Amino acid sequence: MASKQSLTQPPASGNTLAPRTLIVDNGAHTIKAGFSSATTETNQEPNLDDCQIIANCLARSTRDKRTYVGPELLDECWDFGELAFRRPVERGFVVNWEGEKAIWERSFVDGRAKLKCDPHETNLVLTESPNAPAALQRNAGEMVFEEFEFASYYRTMAPAFNAYAPSPFPSTATSASGVPIECLLVVDVGHSHTTVTPLYQGRPFHSSCRRLEIGGKTLTNRLKEVLTRTVEVQKEDWIVQEIKEDVCFISQDFNSDIERVWKGGLKDPREIDTSIVVDYVLPDYEAVKRGFFREHDPKISRKARALGLDGPREHIVTIGNERFTVSELLFTPSDIGMQQEGLPATILQSIYSLPQGLWQPFLANILVVGGSSKFAGFMGRLESELRSRVSEDYIVRVAQAQDPVKNVWLGGARLAQNEDVLKERVVTRQEYLEHGDLWTRRRFAGKIAR
Amino acid sequence: MATGPLRFRTPHIEELPITQSRQAPGFAWVAVAAPPEDPSKNWGTSNRKRARAAATGQTDSQKEALSARQQRETERKIRELNSDNSKDVQIPIPKKEAGGGGGARAGKTTNTKKILASGKTFAHYLDDEEAEIARTGRRDGEAEVVPAAVQQQRASKTPLARRRPREESSMSGSPAPFKPASSYAPPSDAMDIDPGEDDDVVASMPSQANIEALLNMPPLTYNQARSAPPPTNAPPPRKFCEVCGYFGRVKCMKCGAMTCSVMCKDTHDDQRCQKFYA
Ligand SMILES: [Zn+2]
Ligand SMILES: [Zn+2]
Repeated sequence: MASKQSLTQPPASGNTLAPRTLIVDNGAHTIKAGFSSATTETNQEPNLDDCQIIANCLARSTRDKRTYVGPELLDECWDFGELAFRRPVERGFVVNWEGEKAIWERSFVDGRAKLKCDPHETNLVLTESPNAPAALQRNAGEMVFEEFEFASYYRTMAPAFNAYAPSPFPSTATSASGVPIECLLVVDVGHSHTTVTPLYQGRPFHSSCRRLEIGGKTLTNRLKEVLTRTVEVQKEDWIVQEIKEDVCFISQDFNSDIERVWKGGLKDPREIDTSIVVDYVLPDYEAVKRGFFREHDPKISRKARALGLDGPREHIVTIGNERFTVSELLFTPSDIGMQQEGLPATILQSIYSLPQGLWQPFLANILVVGGSSKFAGFMGRLESELRSRVSEDYIVRVAQAQDPVKNVWLGGARLAQNEDVLKERVVTRQEYLEHGDLWTRRRFAGKIAR
Repeated sequence: MATGPLRFRTPHIEELPITQSRQAPGFAWVAVAAPPEDPSKNWGTSNRKRARAAATGQTDSQKEALSARQQRETERKIRELNSDNSKDVQIPIPKKEAGGGGGARAGKTTNTKKILASGKTFAHYLDDEEAEIARTGRRDGEAEVVPAAVQQQRASKTPLARRRPREESSMSGSPAPFKPASSYAPPSDAMDIDPGEDDDVVASMPSQANIEALLNMPPLTYNQARSAPPPTNAPPPRKFCEVCGYFGRVKCMKCGAMTCSVMCKDTHDDQRCQKFYA
């Protein structure tokens, strides 16, 4: 518990908000952060452009011997070769606050920060992954109030904010700020994992939350593993992530696609399907600043090109079945031996654990968010697999958020824009210092009404 | 084996389902060295196992050790694939150039000093919480008993809910027992939502009180929320060639790795075989 002596500023009194609200969707890969315009004079809707994307890591380059902290990575680094990463968020939760503090300070407090604020004059709205261990929730509260000294604080699970973002379904009118969509099943395909959260008026049915332990990082690590069959990329986390984003897709017919690119050996006369196989030109950060891919050319010798013979000097990796066998893990985790059902079945685990009368509203309102849902073919495959698994008596409707990465932030910003709703949710620093951490957590869990 | 077409011309070829998708049942060829008396009789697993055992001359205990080893290897690999940080790298926080308030580690209060100096990983926090729940039935001073008990209670009322017992392990594999297939896919008659026909409990929205009660249930623990394993009647996992990524058709009897063709098998033998029994 904080001692009163540590109080250096007059805290916001019981029921007043600080002038500004900072919304922080604190993802394992990136922080999505920005101010809601709620308490400013302009009465504008929060805009996706108000949301900054900040790398949530410390990155160390062996080349320039520099450590990039948070936003510096995307703003100042130009050579992503052999970058090593330290991520304070593990499995979706801030575990290492030493690292997170350095990143937050650089992002929100430092003189150079684009989102510079005075925490004493700022309300903080913070997201966490579902099913958080309580000790980590306590750590977050103590850091927010005792270390950063924010004026007030509201923490909730990230998926819940999607209910406050504009509806992705054309027939559902966008609700006013602070008013949630009635029924929404949020599928968040994140960096650490993929979560399924049924929301009723923005509140989760806790006992039906499910998590599939495949996320963007699993796919990047898996791609790295399979690419090392042909090229040395063991230390190239960043480059492999870019390759993944550039070339991976979700197959609509896995068996047929894998046949199309199989070549059983050098003597096999079959022609592989070049509409799938690509040559990826790796960046060397001299001539090639950013990797790119082009149609596979069987006449090009990788070795000759690497030596600068027979064309421009370039490092090529040929990618075939890896384009879809890696991303396939989201749908078939058993391909790496993981004992969890794929995403469509995990969604149905969640829905079928609810009373049957709720199945239809959730089956018809499935919202997909998260950076790893951006693979080509993702939505088509998800919808067709769900359709084939669910009785035809039910309507199945799946939609992707306009911006799958920033949708949680946008929902949080729209919630915070409604001052009455925000006031109801936050705990002020004074309340925290009076009532303590357990009380604060119980407030956020909705157990103590204001 | 080194000559000729790369499709295996082995004495017997079995067809095994390799996909879980109901729409597109694909098949992989699995080469089995033993001569079959009658291929149609050789479909079942027992015959296949016998055929394999005959081919390799491995004893049962050797096979068990191999599969236990493979299981551990799989779990280790999944942990590695899900790891967040670059391997074997320490990245210290850079020193502040000027101002900015205190050293990186300082900490303004006893609490935050402790948090900032903590070297705990997520696995530590998870173990701590599971241990506390096992000891007290509650989590971190909360008033509510954790849902394990609630779940069991509910499970009888709601057979369709695929609920899973708490696990102590933080491993990615879920050793939870499967629920019968009937709980996996609801029977179609139960799913009839035609409002004209019969609007009993099956399709109508639960009462507001019921919804409120459900909303007020405490969160599942991290382990409880993990997606359940596929049902027991799901097709077996697909296997892939560890050299080229195509479907794996032949298992290396020394290390258990799969390959698709003579080419890939040669590559495996030359460069990659881990030779647990060599
Ligand atoms: Zn192969
Ligand atoms: Zn081997």
